[in-house]
Amino acid sequence: MMDTQLLISGVIFGLSIGSIYFLLAIGLSLCFGLMRIISLDQLLYYSIGAFVSYTIYVATGNTWIGVFGGMAAAGIVSFGVERFVYLRIYERDIAFTMIASFGILIAGVGAIKYIWGLVPRPAPIPIETQATILGTEIPVYRLMVIGISFLVYVGIWLFLNRTITGKAIRAGIEDVEHVEGLGINVYKLFTITFIIAGTLSGLAGGLHAPLIMVDPHMGLHVLAFVFMVVIIGGLGSIKGTLASAFIVGQVTSLGSLIYAPLAQMAPFAIMLLILLIKPTGLYGSKLLKR
Amino acid sequence: MNIFKWWWGILLAFLLLGVVRVILPLPFVIEVIIFSIYTMGCNFLLGRVGFISFGQPAYLAVGAYGTAFYLYYFGTNPYIGILLGLLAGVVVSVIVGPFFVRLRSDYFALVNLALAVIVYYLMEKILADITHGDNGLWFLTRMSSTPVLDLGKPSDFFIFAFLVAMALWAFYKYLDDSIYGACCLATKINEDKLKFLGYSNFNIRWLAFIIANTTTALAGALYAVYFGFVSPEITSPARCADPVVVTILGGVGTLYGPIVGAIAYTGMKDLISGFIVNWELFIGLLLVFIMLAGEKGIWGTLEPILGKTLFLKRILPSLQDRGDKSR
Repeated sequence: MMDTQLLISGVIFGLSIGSIYFLLAIGLSLCFGLMRIISLDQLLYYSIGAFVSYTIYVATGNTWIGVFGGMAAAGIVSFGVERFVYLRIYERDIAFTMIASFGILIAGVGAIKYIWGLVPRPAPIPIETQATILGTEIPVYRLMVIGISFLVYVGIWLFLNRTITGKAIRAGIEDVEHVEGLGINVYKLFTITFIIAGTLSGLAGGLHAPLIMVDPHMGLHVLAFVFMVVIIGGLGSIKGTLASAFIVGQVTSLGSLIYAPLAQMAPFAIMLLILLIKPTGLYGSKLLKR
Repeated sequence: MNIFKWWWGILLAFLLLGVVRVILPLPFVIEVIIFSIYTMGCNFLLGRVGFISFGQPAYLAVGAYGTAFYLYYFGTNPYIGILLGLLAGVVVSVIVGPFFVRLRSDYFALVNLALAVIVYYLMEKILADITHGDNGLWFLTRMSSTPVLDLGKPSDFFIFAFLVAMALWAFYKYLDDSIYGACCLATKINEDKLKFLGYSNFNIRWLAFIIANTTTALAGALYAVYFGFVSPEITSPARCADPVVVTILGGVGTLYGPIVGAIAYTGMKDLISGFIVNWELFIGLLLVFIMLAGEKGIWGTLEPILGKTLFLKRILPSLQDRGDKSR
């Protein structure tokens, strides 16, 4: 019923969108798992990553340096925010950290507007070439985005399973108090996790910038989608985040092929459906309940 | 004795708002009143039941569009329009309630956010034939004038909105004193114990959800009649946190919190946006500072001081200290 070329390009488009969502959602998921905070300000690091990489591109003409610069800037800002705000409110109720993080997000959007102005700017695509798969023209850049996010997944997996710090983080997700009892400084773990999350969000922003316009509200635009990815996967689970990022990307892109307004609606319908069947999300563990 | 005390509180508030009406410009006061009605629902959900909801604009839009459809397509009487908006709010929250109240508090917040986005796209794109998309529905001239209080006139609308707000305030006061209000607090603090006592947590939460979101829908209906215009902008995802912010600003779970919060928030927004274009920066920083300073909000901090200085021994019951952790 649908022609193959359209289908293939739709699937690739969905995969690249899903990759971006995955990079953003993994940070949120780790933050929730370890620190029990819902860190809405990850969307701010995403915007910062995009804006800084755009600015560096304009200055140097090289997009990849821009992406690394954006990652670094996002990491530094997230470190500052963690030091000045989160360290004081980790003990509080989850609702309050959520509102504080929303405050950071809004303030950051205001700051970005102040620095870069209101006008959306187009960021250039670093690689213009097209690859051919089964007779369909595919932009190489989208394939690279997919590849990078897969590398990040492998890297995160190795970090969590093969290093002492990563193992401590995984143990912290299960039970923070026991980890503290073993003599590990959990606040150091919190800082490390938060910086990783912020840096990945910055990477997502830098990679996403050439695919869309860079504008101050870009964080708010993806907010609902990223949260959907996290909810469908189950808060605190990396595998679930990967699976749900894939689902949401495909539903968004293939849904829009069938009926255009469906693109924004269909993922939400899927999310409601999944939550009705399994209120903790696909891979949400029972341990995290309350 | 109890009754005497809370009528006293209402009289005080009436007097205060009467004074405010003379001092401040009318549009500002009306905005504050409607916003405080909007916040009351969120305040009840957050302070009493422990549900934090980032999707209140969805119910606001339901109320506003319920009113707008009637006034644009069928009738001309604004009172019936408001009633229909209210009814739409009841129907929608009865339908979605059972699915939502089963969820944990953090999931509840995000699912509501998703609902707000769905309603936004529904009104902007999918139902564009009926709602006219981004252009919105204009029906200011279609509203007929009514005998006693003419809602087309801002001065009469002020009195009507004021009466509604007072009635709602009294209603929430009544709820607080009733057994049901105690049950709501109990589901927030210790639901297992409440279940053990023979109450159904699910039913209590569902009813609370319906009450709170109907209040929000009423605010939406009032917005629709006041502006004579409804567009999908009122449920835009960027404004989803407004009611939560105002609730926290005013003081979670306090009766006067919504009004104080609405005055502070609307006032600040007017004041700041007069000087600087990007007021978000200030609102955001303010929010962070409030969260760092404490959880009580403006009214929660002021209340003990006022109580001491005015020698009013606990006329204004404060409940926010009960229950340290929400669900």
